[in-house]
Amino acid sequence: MFAKPATLTLTALLFLSVSLAPLIALLVSSLSVDGAFGLDRYQYLLSSSQPRQLFGHSLLLAGLSTLAATVLGVPLGILFGKTDLPWRYPLLVLFTLPLLLPPYFLSVGWFSLLGQEGWLVRLFPEAETVARILADMLFGLPGCVLTLSTVFLPLIMLITATFLQTVNPQMEEAARLYASWPRVLSRITLPGILPGILFVMLLVFMLTLGEVTVPMYLRYEAYPTETLTQFAAFYDFDTATATSAPLALLAFLLLMAEWRARRWAVPDLRPVETSLIIQSGLAGKLSMVVAAGLAVVIVVLPLGALGLYASFDDFGEAWTRGYDALSRSLLYAASGASVLTALGFFLGLLWRERTYFSGITKFTALLLLILPGTVLGIGLIGLWNRPATAWLYASPGILIMGYVIQYAALPAGIIHAVLARLPSSLEHAAALSGAGWWRRVLLIVLPLSRRGLLAAWLVSYLFCLRDTSLAMLVYPPGGDTLPVRIYTLMANSPFGLVAALCTLLIITALLPLALFGLFPKRKESS
Amino acid sequence: MIAVEFKHVWAFYQGKPALQDFSLQIKPRERLVLLGPSGCGKSTVLRIAAGFLAPAQGAVILDDTIAAKDGRLALEPEQRGLGMVFQDFALWPHLSVGEHLAFGLKAQGVAKAERERRIMETLRLVRLDSRVDARPGELSGGQQQRVALARALVTQPRLLLMDEPLSSLDFELGIVLRREILALQERLGFTLIYVTHNLDEAFAIAQRIVVMREGVIVRMGSTEEIKAYFAGRARAADTAAFPDAPGQTESQG
Repeated sequence: MFAKPATLTLTALLFLSVSLAPLIALLVSSLSVDGAFGLDRYQYLLSSSQPRQLFGHSLLLAGLSTLAATVLGVPLGILFGKTDLPWRYPLLVLFTLPLLLPPYFLSVGWFSLLGQEGWLVRLFPEAETVARILADMLFGLPGCVLTLSTVFLPLIMLITATFLQTVNPQMEEAARLYASWPRVLSRITLPGILPGILFVMLLVFMLTLGEVTVPMYLRYEAYPTETLTQFAAFYDFDTATATSAPLALLAFLLLMAEWRARRWAVPDLRPVETSLIIQSGLAGKLSMVVAAGLAVVIVVLPLGALGLYASFDDFGEAWTRGYDALSRSLLYAASGASVLTALGFFLGLLWRERTYFSGITKFTALLLLILPGTVLGIGLIGLWNRPATAWLYASPGILIMGYVIQYAALPAGIIHAVLARLPSSLEHAAALSGAGWWRRVLLIVLPLSRRGLLAAWLVSYLFCLRDTSLAMLVYPPGGDTLPVRIYTLMANSPFGLVAALCTLLIITALLPLALFGLFPKRKESS
Repeated sequence: MIAVEFKHVWAFYQGKPALQDFSLQIKPRERLVLLGPSGCGKSTVLRIAAGFLAPAQGAVILDDTIAAKDGRLALEPEQRGLGMVFQDFALWPHLSVGEHLAFGLKAQGVAKAERERRIMETLRLVRLDSRVDARPGELSGGQQQRVALARALVTQPRLLLMDEPLSSLDFELGIVLRREILALQERLGFTLIYVTHNLDEAFAIAQRIVVMREGVIVRMGSTEEIKAYFAGRARAADTAAFPDAPGQTESQG
């Protein structure tokens, strides 16, 4: 009788205490001087104009990247989620690839194409001037916008495509009696899913704002890099905590505004029985050709150039110098994904309920997802870097805890959407047969949501594997991950080695995705 | 007003036939009811007439124009000049009542002054002229049904399709609204194809009734003829309880 409320309340309390503690520690630390309240640590922020300037740079970068990702992502979402055009699934996977990799990989890819010794100059020596102009543009705001909009475009594309499956087809049919598809999409379909698109735009804005590796690699002065510099270069932990606070506050305020405006933040992803599909005409086929061209330019070209840059010797060297970091990355990502999936399952069960804990855990998970990894990293260090907790801080446990805190919203959201689609009558029938809550969860809900659990594990795994910002700050001594290893090697290693290491990680990320893609086919043929 | 003809139409749903060699002629200004249990193919007939679905085989002819033939649409839905009232009304939650009616008129290129005149005229017809700025969520079930009807009528359609439009309303409101539908059809003279599984509703609306089962017409005749057909049998409120039909059709094609 008490099994359900006790389990779900315990889950909520555990999640809230573990995930909010670093943020509270960060806030308290930034506001206290020698045990008393004080704003001394904000001296740098308040007295210098540089942080405000950097914050402006970051807002500009995040705004432009979100705009570009939306302008491209929404039409692509319509194309992939609403038409019966051929080749849409391979193209969807191609566009999604950059999201699954550390964001700076694309920047490195563009450099391998446009840099001084890049493919453009190698293949067309006479185009050196053009290559130099393009390389100059790459290092700065345009390059950052190009990279980050490509990286986060898939989020907008995938969410748009998913939301389109939830639109009542009769609403579109009612409009189709009077208007052609473009007008129906612009006046009926898209306004219907606008709250969802706005939510994902907010997500992209905050993820872009918090990104450190791309601006650092492309030498664009942005605010989050300042936090990292204060900590890593000057080891000024006090200023690092103070510079983190505005980012955390902005994430909180934006999410709160969205939350209050819509009264929800994770949209209901229940698809309707049959969504309306736009029959492919000439315009649709032309759109697909344009989309394929775009995929070649923004994904295949930089990543292909990166992969081709490495020689066989480079791959040999990469394996020697990177296999330990790679195996650690796989182990940490798999462990993080397993814990995340387990937590996500119970949070998913909790989010089905309309309780206080349901709302507050949902809000917290989303806040932590959009919080810059550096901010969370500083918070974790402030909380756990003490003699009494060295057993955790000096172990991979701190990184896995960071993954769980940062990415809990992803598996929980996926599993919640899957659980919401299970007919409640299945559980009611089990209850009438005498099964208690745990028995119903283990014997009915868990087996029926196994595909969702697998998807949640895979998404969590990929996000843990690609993580760089958080891992850069909290990896255990001598226990760096491959994205961190590559990032640190980039400064003074041959570019061929860097390209080979990046390719190694791309293959590692793609392998489980390919296996997951084969899974349903096997099932159907059996 | 429009004449509609289905010629040897076949349609499939998830690999199974939804309509099997379905042929039917509907005269201009006629009120035809398609009657049958769930899954008998009556809604498929409406979807094919509207152009949401192309017949796998066979043809649909609107007046003398081929609208669809053998898996291809010759006329897109917006080119057919039809109105439709859906079972769940399919109102657009982000648009006001006035904007619902303006949607089709704008698509037809009707000038603003004329558009506003027609919107108010149609809303007066369905007694909703005081709710022009209301959103669907602010309306009762009966008012929502009237908005759906007004949206379908404002473009002055040649053919009105109604897919179980009263099934989600309570019994008494359903009786009031079907009287209003009848009065509007008499006054405006549009051709009406009305789908229901309810015998009372069918008898109240129809001039002619087509009884369907498993994608074929099992009986067709005037309201009186169909009443007589059922007279000797236990009167069922739902056609799911129909006894096996004799398998013969009258005046088909």
